[in-house]
Amino acid sequence: MLYKKKWPLLIFVVPGLVFLFVFLYLPFVENIKNSFFDMTGVVEMPGSPWKFIQFDNYKKLFSDETIAIAIGNSFRMMGLTVVFEVGFAFILAVLVNNIRKGQQIFRTVFFFPIVISATAIGLLFKLFYNYNGGMLNQILKSLSLDPVNWLSPELAFLMICIPTLWSYVGFYFVILLTGLTNISDDIYEAADIDGCSKFKQVFYLTIPMMRPVIVTCVTLAVTGALKVFDLPWVIAANGAPQGLTHFLGTYMYQVTFGMNNYDYGSTIAIVIVVMGVVVSRLVHIIFRDEKKEVGR
Amino acid sequence: MKKKALSILLATVLTFTMLTGCGKTEETADDQTTTEATDEAEVTETEPEAEAQKDVTIKTVSMFGGTDPNAEVYQQIIADFQTTYDYITVEDNSQSSDEEWKASVAADFSVGNEPDVLQFFTDATANQIVATDKFVSIEEIHAEYPEYAQDTMGTALEAAKNTDGVQRAVPTTGYWEGLFCNKDLFDQYNLALPTDFASLKTAIETFNENGIVPIAVSLNNVPHYWVEFSLLYAAGPEGYEAVPETAPADWVRGLEFVKTLRDLGAFPVDTDTVDNEYVGSLFKSKQAAMQLDGSWFLGGIEDQENTVVIAFPGMDDQKAEAGSIVGGISSGFYITRKAWEDPDKRDAAVKFVMAQTSQEAVQKYWEKGGAVGKAAVEVTPVEGMTNLALSALAYTNGATALCAPTDSRIDPEAYKTIIAGIVKVSTGGSAEDLLNEALAINNDRK
Repeated sequence: MLYKKKWPLLIFVVPGLVFLFVFLYLPFVENIKNSFFDMTGVVEMPGSPWKFIQFDNYKKLFSDETIAIAIGNSFRMMGLTVVFEVGFAFILAVLVNNIRKGQQIFRTVFFFPIVISATAIGLLFKLFYNYNGGMLNQILKSLSLDPVNWLSPELAFLMICIPTLWSYVGFYFVILLTGLTNISDDIYEAADIDGCSKFKQVFYLTIPMMRPVIVTCVTLAVTGALKVFDLPWVIAANGAPQGLTHFLGTYMYQVTFGMNNYDYGSTIAIVIVVMGVVVSRLVHIIFRDEKKEVGR
Repeated sequence: MKKKALSILLATVLTFTMLTGCGKTEETADDQTTTEATDEAEVTETEPEAEAQKDVTIKTVSMFGGTDPNAEVYQQIIADFQTTYDYITVEDNSQSSDEEWKASVAADFSVGNEPDVLQFFTDATANQIVATDKFVSIEEIHAEYPEYAQDTMGTALEAAKNTDGVQRAVPTTGYWEGLFCNKDLFDQYNLALPTDFASLKTAIETFNENGIVPIAVSLNNVPHYWVEFSLLYAAGPEGYEAVPETAPADWVRGLEFVKTLRDLGAFPVDTDTVDNEYVGSLFKSKQAAMQLDGSWFLGGIEDQENTVVIAFPGMDDQKAEAGSIVGGISSGFYITRKAWEDPDKRDAAVKFVMAQTSQEAVQKYWEKGGAVGKAAVEVTPVEGMTNLALSALAYTNGATALCAPTDSRIDPEAYKTIIAGIVKVSTGGSAEDLLNEALAINNDRK
């Protein structure tokens, strides 16, 4: 036993718990309550009582076309983050881990987008995509080609995904590279002696040994995809064009603060939380099952 | 024992550090301004009656803050006011109006933390706060202070009454909305400024052929002006100012007019994704020929000689007379019951509002706004006006009808539902369904 008396620990834990309770759990419970009322404002004003509307907001979820788009886009983003953020970061990490000179330069270059604020990246790409005078269309113009509406209904989702995915590759790259450096060189040397090629080493040594780190990255990526907000909002606010690029976060924000529909916004917030919990549990179950199979 | 004391001390420090972050400070935001009497270096004149008064502090809140051009005038009037009445301290907390600010004002009223004087909206935006019954009516103030709001025109006070018909706020200036045109572009392509839908259509087609954006608008960001004028001209002033329970055919036709224009290629290709600042820059840099906007847009236009404001050209089968304008007076200074029932603050609050709404003060506000808006008092015209300002004056003077916008009559959530849905309507969505959805929200809130 490191500490015989436990009560001093409480003194340190309680302030944090109080803080969490007041600023996280209490608002969350309040949010659940709000979803059952027709809120006429952010606060209930004397003389304007909120009407109890039972499950109306939850029923609306099933008839709302935009929430279906938002959920669909959020799931698409989850898949894309796993493949292009974690997957691409893993490839980069393996490649960088295999070089001896200039590793630090690559680390810095790949990590750089993380230190730039999402708003700045969003504005940057917004300028790239501008129809009138945007960088991409200026390039097309110099090649005597017609300008393209990069944020047209057909292209917008892709154009928003590119910077969103790109900006987070560095984050997973650093985590995975740290994981790779923890694998002993002796194992690779032994594999070399046994005649195992570098390519096979990745599949038979690196991936199995990196499994806990990869699982952590995948969990972070899929739950993070549910919280995507700032970049899409800056590039194309209100799910533009025509609500087609809404994610759960952007739609919740538009409903709550753009349309003053606070109660329906609260309902969408609950959907986000529920989906976050379900998805993270699913990831946990999927990887746990695999582990059992490996153990047999 | 020593360790125990240290751990308690550390925990206490940790707790206070966290709680300090939650504490409310009044001077945190950059665009908030606080003016206090102590800032005044010299007090030159003091009214004789002031000497007998005891010190009083009044809390004021206004939307004349941040980058609002009125902020400078507002603060100068406060400074002069405190010089004149050296026993009154004004603790002002002004900020540019946005949804966050409106919510914070509402929150203050709900918890009894309302200011003594509030400069706020008078239309449906204020309904919730008005419902708290925490404002004093002008009639009640007049009973004790007959000189209150004496410079303000009766029509202006009437225009600034709340939606329940009671006059509570004293306004300063109003606004109008109109079609800004780059006249040099029209001249370049031998086009007449549009006066009806046929000439508007010709202009749109010609500009399109020549690579000029005919109308600068972001349907995704600020389609409000097009919604308002389309509804006004389709339904006529009477139909426009009515608050129906279900979508009237004229309103549906009005919203569908936005689709007609879109199909004609009137809007930028990326109108669904760009923001209002961007389309404003298209217009100001002569890449776009027309922009429907408000009187506040005028001051930011560099080319004041080749830009003009004209009436909305209209549409086929319109019910509004040519020259009908959207505009009005939608804000003013309120005195709260909290200040009115405090014997020390009552007189100070009344004096403050009178200082902010006197002829002299409103003249300053009016001039700061380009001297083209609607003033709540009789104003003296300024000399050396630009072509743009002159055209604006001609536009407002020639108005055949002046109608307040829809958001002054219907619930904010209902209005924003219309605004959020206009992109879908412009691409073929049902205008009737959208209007019915919005009006149903409004019906529920009645």
